[in-house]
Amino acid sequence: MDCGTCETAPAIEVIKPKVVDANLTITDKAIDMLTEAFGDDRSHALLVGVLSGGCSGYMYDLQIVENTDIDCQELVISGFRVLVPNASSHLLDGIEVDYVDRLMGGGFKINNPNASSSCGCGESFA
Amino acid sequence: MRVYQLDSYVLLLSGRDCLQFLDGLSTNKVNGTCTTVFTNTNAKIIDMVEVIIVGENVALVGHNPYKNNLLNHLNSRILQQDVVMRDISEFNKVYISFDKYPQSNNITVVNTFRGWIIVAPNSEDITSTLTKDEFNNYRVEQLIPHQGFEITPLVHPFNCGLDELVHEAKGCYIGQEILTRMRSRNKMGKSLIRVDGEPDDAITCGKTHSLVIRKVD
Repeated sequence: MDCGTCETAPAIEVIKPKVVDANLTITDKAIDMLTEAFGDDRSHALLVGVLSGGCSGYMYDLQIVENTDIDCQELVISGFRVLVPNASSHLLDGIEVDYVDRLMGGGFKINNPNASSSCGCGESFA
Repeated sequence: MRVYQLDSYVLLLSGRDCLQFLDGLSTNKVNGTCTTVFTNTNAKIIDMVEVIIVGENVALVGHNPYKNNLLNHLNSRILQQDVVMRDISEFNKVYISFDKYPQSNNITVVNTFRGWIIVAPNSEDITSTLTKDEFNNYRVEQLIPHQGFEITPLVHPFNCGLDELVHEAKGCYIGQEILTRMRSRNKMGKSLIRVDGEPDDAITCGKTHSLVIRKVD
């Protein structure tokens, strides 16, 4: 393979959707669970992102991070720093972060008005 | 040496999330050099590609007429992941060899279920020794599907002999629910088979046999 030329080949332009100011809500139950997870430490943030994959093409990605090199917009909700990557802001605007308390399939759940379909486990959407 | 030049594209992916990105969107477990299939929400094939690890990069080798569909499929899903794609097709030629092909400095050779896939810079002098008819006849005799013939956007991987490329336990990807249901219920539809002569539904005809996709009891 001619890798000498690889770096001179122009990168294929990635479709970059318009960055929107994401508006998120977090339910009281989810706030309670975040409080439990963060404790008194507010130096960390909740990163709410989207990765490719899953049955429907996009997968939610929730992480507690101190900082990130991803280009994000920062919101403060109920005292928690929430980071939303600009690249996926169009998919996350208007979502509700909820917490479902059940033995199987429980945990943080995203209710997303932008999703046209989602898979059974709720982790992926299109 | 039985060598045939393929009509292929070569995409080079770089970035720390390449393998995870490809694994999340295709049927096989992608954690190194392998063959995998990208499917749509109906589990129909977008393209079958060779994933080749090249240093810190990953090359994707697929069927040229299907390139744009695959690029559209991948492009909108990169989002925040660290993945950069480059089209290096114009710098390389792709061949298949049905005999073990020697590695050399500039030539990348990977062994696949179809044969040895060779990716060589344009400057390398590799000669096709097979005609199109000879290539197809060998495929028919060995039951090897090929893009544009048996492997098309109209079929599932199970229909065209790519069962082995659908990993049984890798987790979610687009089309996975359908393929898993087909396999678990043993309802995988039509299969790729070799038959005598040239029946009306023949997809590829060899000298004495043909490849067809048929319902098999």
